[in-house]
Amino acid sequence: MLSVPQVLLVDDDPTNRVVLKHQIKKLGYTYIEACNGVEAVELFRNHPFDVVLMDILMPEMDGYQATRIIKELSHGFVPVIFLTGLTDDSALARCIESGGDDFLTRPYNHLLLKAKLESMLRIGRLYKQVEFQKNELNWHNARMQQENSVAQKVFANIIESDMESMYPGLKYSMSSMSMFNGDLVLAELNQSNGIDILVSDFTGHGLSAAIGSIPVADTFRTMTRKGFAFTEVLVEINKKLLRILPTNMFMATALISIDRVNQVVSVANMGLPDIYLCRGQKVIHSFSSQNLPLGIAQLSSHSLSFEMQTLMLDDVILAATDGVMEAQNSAGEFYGKQRIVDSIEKSDSQNDLFGNVLNGCVSFIGSSKQNDDITLLSVQHKQDELVPQEHQDTSRHEPAEWSMHFYLDAVNLRRFDILPYILQGIKQLQSIPGTGSELQTILTEMYANALDHGLLKLDSRLKHTPEGYMEFYNERSRRLAELQEGNIQIIISHQLREQGGGRFTLHLYDSGDGFDVKQVRAALETNKTPYGRGLALIEQLSTRVQFLGKGNAVMVVYDWE
Amino acid sequence: MSVKALLSDDNKQLTIKVDGRFDFSLHTDFRGAYKDLNLANGEFIVDLSATEFVDSSALGMMLLLKEFAESGGSSVRIKTPRPEIREILMIASFDKIFKLE
Repeated sequence: MLSVPQVLLVDDDPTNRVVLKHQIKKLGYTYIEACNGVEAVELFRNHPFDVVLMDILMPEMDGYQATRIIKELSHGFVPVIFLTGLTDDSALARCIESGGDDFLTRPYNHLLLKAKLESMLRIGRLYKQVEFQKNELNWHNARMQQENSVAQKVFANIIESDMESMYPGLKYSMSSMSMFNGDLVLAELNQSNGIDILVSDFTGHGLSAAIGSIPVADTFRTMTRKGFAFTEVLVEINKKLLRILPTNMFMATALISIDRVNQVVSVANMGLPDIYLCRGQKVIHSFSSQNLPLGIAQLSSHSLSFEMQTLMLDDVILAATDGVMEAQNSAGEFYGKQRIVDSIEKSDSQNDLFGNVLNGCVSFIGSSKQNDDITLLSVQHKQDELVPQEHQDTSRHEPAEWSMHFYLDAVNLRRFDILPYILQGIKQLQSIPGTGSELQTILTEMYANALDHGLLKLDSRLKHTPEGYMEFYNERSRRLAELQEGNIQIIISHQLREQGGGRFTLHLYDSGDGFDVKQVRAALETNKTPYGRGLALIEQLSTRVQFLGKGNAVMVVYDWE
Repeated sequence: MSVKALLSDDNKQLTIKVDGRFDFSLHTDFRGAYKDLNLANGEFIVDLSATEFVDSSALGMMLLLKEFAESGGSSVRIKTPRPEIREILMIASFDKIFKLE
């Protein structure tokens, strides 16, 4: 809008123009005159106008025609007021039809002309303001969309990884209701030749929900790779979330830890719906939530509740966020627990259980609106070989000779799990080709043997029954907390080999009573016991295993090339 | 859906009753029901008897109320949720941090 409004004055009668010019001047507006429609259109093309006063009957081109063209040429809203001596209704109707915004009948009333001009100019200003705001909004919107898509890429890079190829039998589906997902699935191979999976659901959805997943992903990956127990990982994630999340935000989560050495699954459920363990298309156990979601209150590894169950080949563990339970159909019904269980039981085999539940949910929702992020995950217990992971350090250090010695008394053993630190230390000193996970597994099993059986005198036969695993674990926690005396020594050395590569020699001594090696070996060979797998695994993975003394010392040799 | 707040005669108890769906749309109303109240050593009661649905943001709102209450030495009690609502509260283990009837 010009600072002084400019009027296009169109009339073929010079006298009429004189009268109007006079009045327009008095109002303080500027004007340009045209004697007919053709001139008016030409002027309109080349000058900005805020309002047009248009006569109807003119030579060359009449006012109706000129108005139609002017309206087509206008960017934005330029009001046209018809000036007419005609008073019949049909003529006035034609004014409006041809695009006119108002009309004024001769003879002009000075006050009425002023009022009409002012009111039209006001509408024009309003129109321009709306136009300006619309453009501004469009601009902001475009910028926000662009920023969102960049953020989305960054987010995806941090969160996503190719988990299904990481672990045999792992399947998941995530469907987010907005650009950013408030649900989160993470997985990392653990020290037990298995996998730790974190399924999470933040309060709300969209960006605010997604932003919390970044520190969670970071902590989970780093700590699990370093060999920390899942309980420690959860405690640490909780600590972080407690610090960064506002009071009304939290993360419902479940950690599924599969131990392929002992064929057992542990599930810590913190606010997610039941997680199912399925065998032969039947739900044989539900892992219900036993803990507060993360990010609400302090959590220690002692106060964390979880359950353990033995696993058989082809068993399926199925987890879903509440978006699945609360998925609504067009009738407003929830998908609910029972439909999930029905889908499981109606599956033809364990293999299509995941697909059945997912399809069931998707077809249930149908065309109704999704109102929460939906995540479904299943992992089928298989014994396939694991594929080495990309993230693991494949660079090889030049072999070097070194040794390290740890002496841990009861206080140290009670206080924390030193193993991840030792494993990290080894990696720093001597990264070896491949994953190095074999060495990790060997050391983890040796340490568990020394601590669980040597010092804590736990009986593996507890693990005979499915409930036994949990009992074993609880008893272990209790005895460890009360441990007053005893020690474990770990000596790890690395030598060069003539043919290249190197040799790790691991010595572990515990101050316990030892065990009858022959008897355990015999038991292992004659029947498939659910325990003693650790020992079998060490023998399988290492170059040589030798028990010394009364069974309280063990030496393991592990060669690499 | 609506939020109604009722202060007891002795000014020691505030009952917040949520009808229908308890979700993010009640955020302002729910907070408004207590935020200007100076209730020292009293009790907040969240009456869920007529609540048909709660989502996670409703759980978050109750956590905010808890924080507010505890800063003034008051406690929060969740009153008579329907079975399906109770189940959601139990999944979130809210029975461990609230008095849940």
